[in-house]
Amino acid sequence: MAESVKGTVTSLSSLFPVEEAQKAAKRVEEIISERQKQLDQLRDFADDNNTLIRLVQRLPDELHHDIMVPFGKAAFFPGRLIHTNEFLVLLGEGHYAERTAKQTVGILNRRGKALEVQVESVKALMQDLKAEASFFDATASEAAEGLVEIREDYVEETSPKEASMIGIVEPELPISSQAEDVSHVKDEEYDRIFSRLAELEKEEEEAEHANQEEIGSDDSDVSPGHVILEEEMKSLELEERGKSSRIQSTEKFPDHWHVEGSKATSKENCLPENLAYGKFNLTENAPMEPQAEEDVKAPVIAETKAEAHPSEPQFDSSKAFTGSIVEHNSDVNSKVQSVSRSSKPVSRFKMQRK
Amino acid sequence: MASSTGLRELQRDLENKANDLSKLQKDISKNHQIRKKYTIQLGENELVLKELDLLNEDANVYKLIGPVLVKQDMAEANANVKKRIEYISAELKRLDSTVQDLEDKQNSKKETIMKLQQKIQSLQAGKGKA
Repeated sequence: MAESVKGTVTSLSSLFPVEEAQKAAKRVEEIISERQKQLDQLRDFADDNNTLIRLVQRLPDELHHDIMVPFGKAAFFPGRLIHTNEFLVLLGEGHYAERTAKQTVGILNRRGKALEVQVESVKALMQDLKAEASFFDATASEAAEGLVEIREDYVEETSPKEASMIGIVEPELPISSQAEDVSHVKDEEYDRIFSRLAELEKEEEEAEHANQEEIGSDDSDVSPGHVILEEEMKSLELEERGKSSRIQSTEKFPDHWHVEGSKATSKENCLPENLAYGKFNLTENAPMEPQAEEDVKAPVIAETKAEAHPSEPQFDSSKAFTGSIVEHNSDVNSKVQSVSRSSKPVSRFKMQRK
Repeated sequence: MASSTGLRELQRDLENKANDLSKLQKDISKNHQIRKKYTIQLGENELVLKELDLLNEDANVYKLIGPVLVKQDMAEANANVKKRIEYISAELKRLDSTVQDLEDKQNSKKETIMKLQQKIQSLQAGKGKA
């Protein structure tokens, strides 16, 4: 597998040529018709057996029967059937036994049961063959339609994380996207999101107990912060819409951000280093309102404008593109610990300056 | 020049091998048919044995030999059928082994044919380049 390409795409028709699939389907159909013939034959046998049983049961009712005896192929002559309770029964393989009517009926019944078993087995076989035939037909038609098979390696270590992350991140993703400027190149966006996801996961793993309170406070903080931001946005949007330049906001924001980040870490420096980012993100919403309201106004507006809409699609896309999540994740994960923290602010800068 | 004669030889070889293979396949299918027949006979004989076991000791049992029915003892008939079953089972086993053998041969033949084809292809490719 090439490393640059995570998945392979093969058209179904190259794997199973249409004619081949049709040929296979035809062959299976032939086998099915053969089996059908066999089944019909067995059913005929069973019917014959049943009529024979009825006849044998009826014969001893009379002492003798007047019948037309076949003579050669074309001729009959009248005769009388006597000894109506004596039968010479073919047991198979040239063995005959003299039996009474009752005993004969017993033998015939047993034979009928054997036939039934055979019928059932043939039926089961036919069902299997029919399933096979339908599969071949489906394959043939799919190949004819130009269906494509996409194969992608399953990345063991990232996928479970990702699964759990989706749950965790859902409430937070809007925040992170709010804190960041959004309108940008998809790949970088993904990189950021997923490095963030990975970090969140790391935080959880490494400092589950220490972090629990913070997460709680974070969750509680999230919504008020959110609300306030929105309120601010509403009220301030009008007055500052024209005034607050984008440049101003972008210049202010990262600085302010970093200050807060460092403050947060200094406040809670008991936590491991890689928690710092998480802290800084967690606190970033809470202090924003009391501490830096004036400062924040401008960036908030600038950003919320940019974001109110993109934040949703972005979120959705991350959901819908689970396939590509895997791709990016594998890239990102390798970087996460060393690169992402340092590279991320830079990328934000870059983007914001654009 | 040498390569072209070699190619011709290889092709002749391939043809022979293909013929052998088709012969083997014919044998195998024949064997399968015989096997099928024997399996059916085995089933029939087992049925007969079952019925014979259900018969009374004094029941009259006949065996059809050519156009005539020959009266047989119950014990005799029983022994006959058992012997027949034994024979058929042995025959089935023998057929199984021969079929296995033939299939092995067939597989090896197929492999050699594949190799030959590859050789021929590579030779042709080489010739095409040259």
